[in-house]
Amino acid sequence: MTQRSTTARGWRLAMLALAASIACASTAQQTAAPAPSAEKQRMAKLGIDQKTAAGLFQYLKQQANGGQPLTWRSVPDWTGIWTREASPFFWDPDQGSPTALPTAKLTPPFEKELREKLDRVNRGIEFDPLSNCEPAGMPRWMVEPFLREWIVTPQQTYLVNEMQNEIRRVYTDGRDHPSQADAYPLWEGDSIGFWSGDKLVIHTSQMRAGQYQRIQPSYTEQVETVEIWQKTAPDTMAVDVWSYDPPALAEPWYTKQTYKRLSNEDKSLRIRYWNCGENQNNTVEKTDQGTSDFSNFTFTQKDDK
Amino acid sequence: MRRIVGCAIGVMVLAAAPSFAHHSAVMFDDAKEVTVTGTIKEFQYTNPHSWLLVDVKNDDGSVTTWGFEAEGPSTLTRAGIRKSDFMPGTAITISGHPMRDGRPAAAWIKATRGDGKEFDPRAGFAIK
Repeated sequence: MTQRSTTARGWRLAMLALAASIACASTAQQTAAPAPSAEKQRMAKLGIDQKTAAGLFQYLKQQANGGQPLTWRSVPDWTGIWTREASPFFWDPDQGSPTALPTAKLTPPFEKELREKLDRVNRGIEFDPLSNCEPAGMPRWMVEPFLREWIVTPQQTYLVNEMQNEIRRVYTDGRDHPSQADAYPLWEGDSIGFWSGDKLVIHTSQMRAGQYQRIQPSYTEQVETVEIWQKTAPDTMAVDVWSYDPPALAEPWYTKQTYKRLSNEDKSLRIRYWNCGENQNNTVEKTDQGTSDFSNFTFTQKDDK
Repeated sequence: MRRIVGCAIGVMVLAAAPSFAHHSAVMFDDAKEVTVTGTIKEFQYTNPHSWLLVDVKNDDGSVTTWGFEAEGPSTLTRAGIRKSDFMPGTAITISGHPMRDGRPAAAWIKATRGDGKEFDPRAGFAIK
């Protein structure tokens, strides 16, 4: 790719993402995403038919005859530095346009909440909890930008996002989730999985309430996900994701997420420790009006105009 | 601090707004673009955002330090911007969407170094 086309593509991506933060609210109520593909409809129906995340996970495990234990000889090559394809500001890449509504079928209270949020955004009132240096947490973890690594071992897979050093640990050693009595909300949830050939199937529960992205719907502590990870090409990781969250979702929300391996020929891309609070100039506060503003800069004073 | 005048500041309407992964960009005025020419004071190559601080000389001889915000080191690396590209004392012309409240800070859009090399910090999210 030439520098010119890279720049142009980056600009288009930026335009799409950036426009979302100001344009979504004004027109989202009038626009819907394009009709889903037949494959997407099939996967969505699979999620609906199984009723719960645990039910879908068990169904997939039965279909895989319980899965096959991974050995060091059969560990797939998922090495490299990866990043998510598509705008970081949509949960579903098929949303496509900032003027489209999310593809989720929300319950009335959560649709109302989303519309109110979009209305506030349209009026310039917007605050993201990430500004408090909170991690994104699962499931929002899926769609945050920046660098990622996948570390596969026979008993456990580590899914790493550079931002906030967020690491998901997926146990593939046959263990179950903690008991309901011992469960409590976790930023990344509790993930168990199994291998079916070169596919990693994951069930995640015990997540904290949050939002799918800054201008996307909210989810509750009841949210659970099922994922199927598969490297479909040397530089492509495709992930089928079903979200279940009865208070927020009228039916499971199926999406396909895609991550791309970056070329990194000069080895300059390296994941470093991420300290959100290392620079005072990045301190963003929530104003009395509920929107975002910088606190005091080190290079000037707040009353400088 | 007095507002900077006569320091190659231009304003024009743009079609895009800035946006950052760590915080909303509502504090920046996406309909305006400010361009200043000065010398680099410091490049804060940090997470979650980097800040390029530029000293700009005002008509009355005083100096205002402007801050231009971009994404963090890994995204800037992907955009071909390294810490060594902006050493203190280097001449620079830099543009961004300015703060709505008038403080001398902006969401960094582009920059041209004194030697003519151009930089686009927002190219870092491109996949290549």
